[in-house]
Amino acid sequence: MAASFKFNPLPIPEEYAPLRQEVRSFLREASQSWSGWKIGHSWTGYDKEFSREVGRRGWIGMTWPKVYGGGERTSLERFVVVEEMLAAGAPMGAHWIADRQSGPLLLRLGTEDQRRRFLPQIISGEHCYCIGLSEPDSGSDLASIRSRAEKVSGGWRLNGRKIWTTNGHLSDFMIGLFRSDSSVTVKHQGLSQYLIDMRSSGIEVRPIADLTGEAHFNEVLFEDVFIPDDMLVGTEGNGWQQATSELTFERSQPDRFMSCFPLLPNAIDALNDEQSDANDRFARRQIGQAVADMVIMREMSLSILGQLDEGQTPSQEAALVKELGNTYEQRAPAMVREIFDTDAVMQPGYRLSELQTYLTQTVPSFSLRGGTREILRGIIAKGLGLK
Amino acid sequence: MTDDMNIGAMLAEQIDRLLADAVSRDLFIAVESGKPAAQLWQALEELGITTALVSEEQGGAGLAWGDTEPSLRAAGSRGMPVPLAETMLAAWALARAGLAIPSGPIAVSTALYELDNDGAISGSDAEVSWLESCDHLVAVALRGSEQHLCLLDKNTVTAEPLHTVAREPCCSIVADAVNPLASARLQTPFSELGLRAHLAAIRAVQIGGAMEQLLELCVEYGNTREQFGRPIGKFQAIQHAIAELASHTAAAQVAGQYAFRQIDAGNGDYGATVAKIRVGQAATRGAEIAHQVFGAIGFTDEHILHYFTRRLWQWRSDAGSELWWAERFGGQLIPAGGDALWPSIAR
Repeated sequence: MAASFKFNPLPIPEEYAPLRQEVRSFLREASQSWSGWKIGHSWTGYDKEFSREVGRRGWIGMTWPKVYGGGERTSLERFVVVEEMLAAGAPMGAHWIADRQSGPLLLRLGTEDQRRRFLPQIISGEHCYCIGLSEPDSGSDLASIRSRAEKVSGGWRLNGRKIWTTNGHLSDFMIGLFRSDSSVTVKHQGLSQYLIDMRSSGIEVRPIADLTGEAHFNEVLFEDVFIPDDMLVGTEGNGWQQATSELTFERSQPDRFMSCFPLLPNAIDALNDEQSDANDRFARRQIGQAVADMVIMREMSLSILGQLDEGQTPSQEAALVKELGNTYEQRAPAMVREIFDTDAVMQPGYRLSELQTYLTQTVPSFSLRGGTREILRGIIAKGLGLK
Repeated sequence: MTDDMNIGAMLAEQIDRLLADAVSRDLFIAVESGKPAAQLWQALEELGITTALVSEEQGGAGLAWGDTEPSLRAAGSRGMPVPLAETMLAAWALARAGLAIPSGPIAVSTALYELDNDGAISGSDAEVSWLESCDHLVAVALRGSEQHLCLLDKNTVTAEPLHTVAREPCCSIVADAVNPLASARLQTPFSELGLRAHLAAIRAVQIGGAMEQLLELCVEYGNTREQFGRPIGKFQAIQHAIAELASHTAAAQVAGQYAFRQIDAGNGDYGATVAKIRVGQAATRGAEIAHQVFGAIGFTDEHILHYFTRRLWQWRSDAGSELWWAERFGGQLIPAGGDALWPSIAR
């Protein structure tokens, strides 16, 4: 009986233990000033100074060629660094997108000129990138986007609106997907990716507050924004394939199941508090289950990394991991509430309470971002051979 | 692929083919009414699978646990209506203790017994699967800090048959100063869990296989059962349910493989803990989803589905349910403190 997915194990070599300890020490120091509210933001949290520090230690662009300033280290070494960061809820937001996808995009499909110009400042943590994909009328149906790029002399003229652009108001560059050829009949064709300087004339960034009252999302409006020819990324008209080709990596890594991790050690500490009567059989079962589930997801995530390194495209496996991960993450604040009967009042300065208050409100977005649960389940079903 | 992995894969193929031919609704019914699948057992013994974990010097195939996982998963996917896994575990344990391995199926008691100064053992076990189909059983007995592996004649223990959800032969037993047929002190004792962790790991692998069967059945049904003028698999609700089933199936398989690798690595307890917790949830959701997809027919004996879902309900409960293992795990994690959590996961 052949399953439509496989997860061969990928062990982490012992020789990466010193790197892990190094990152851990760094984070132990750096995290002392972090509030539970900040930690709750995890990898979405923007902290430019932190990103510079991370860059200084060579932990951005770790796997990239040295000629651009990268570390030429293995993807497993990067995995070790990233999972340590996630365990601490480190604010990687200012370099996250650039490190995970924008830089790799330029390495795969960018010009040599683009690589030399833009990679070093990603690696140093100096430049922040955002993603221009969703539009007010195009969410899950991404290929229906209407923002357009018109060819003009020396470059392109962009018009349209991007929405849900995380940290757009703080970003230096955007990788945006625009319709460069409206004559095509298939909506997935005629799209192109552009590297956009966010300071370009004609760009207006409007913050959008989320349900917590903070504004990380933005609407980005383009009115006759000129960008030069050398800012087209990859091949004109190939934008769809380019944008979707990184999805297997983006959907399968530990950020998809560790966004709420800091709740666990903080909950454990609260259970050990003498004054707590919550440390009962139920609590033990819940904590045991939460940790066991995570161990297995970590194995799956590592397996996918190994398959990617071998040149495979385990997209079914990635969809499965994101599906499991999102459900797992959303369970975490519910579990904490059930163990402690936490109320909807935040106790400022108390890490568990701040984490819980923040994550209770934000976990609904975890099964929406990066591909909604419904889209992923459709992908999984198709991969199973359901007609 | 190493040679052993190749042998492991080939063995799995042979097991799968053998069981695909031999296992049917009629066989399940026979086994569940107390008639052992003797012919199937013989064929399995002839394949050499029962001693796969025993070293070559001692007459086995010398496979690592990890290399036998595909075979046991395949067997699980076919409902494993024989004490194959128990016998493999027993043979491995007996070989470790330097004891001869009797032929035929062997049951495993995961309880810990007391060994007295005359070499007789006493204790009880609430659930010993397949005892009635076996002539022998193995058990771990303690004397002070020593652990002894004992081979018993099944007729020397007092056995009460149990009615289980899987309806396979299963007994509670009491051993009252029973003399083993053979026993030996283990140079390297098992943990305080004795053989329970190993059996739990085995059940995890079985569940991974049974989930695969459920998934295959559901996909096939989705593609062939028509209502409202189309295969029901065209409806999004069905697609999404089966997608969720797939996610639990994947996790269950990874869990079973992880548990067996951890036995090989000397972390058997940890692996069994993590795996059994995960597969228990997978089995629970899996059975719910499969029955929902199959509608009325899957609920009845008109369809083979329930032979698998009842085994999922059984196997998730055997050798400690996910609740038992999670409570124990949480009971270790909490006192260790919040700072110790992440280092215990990522070493």
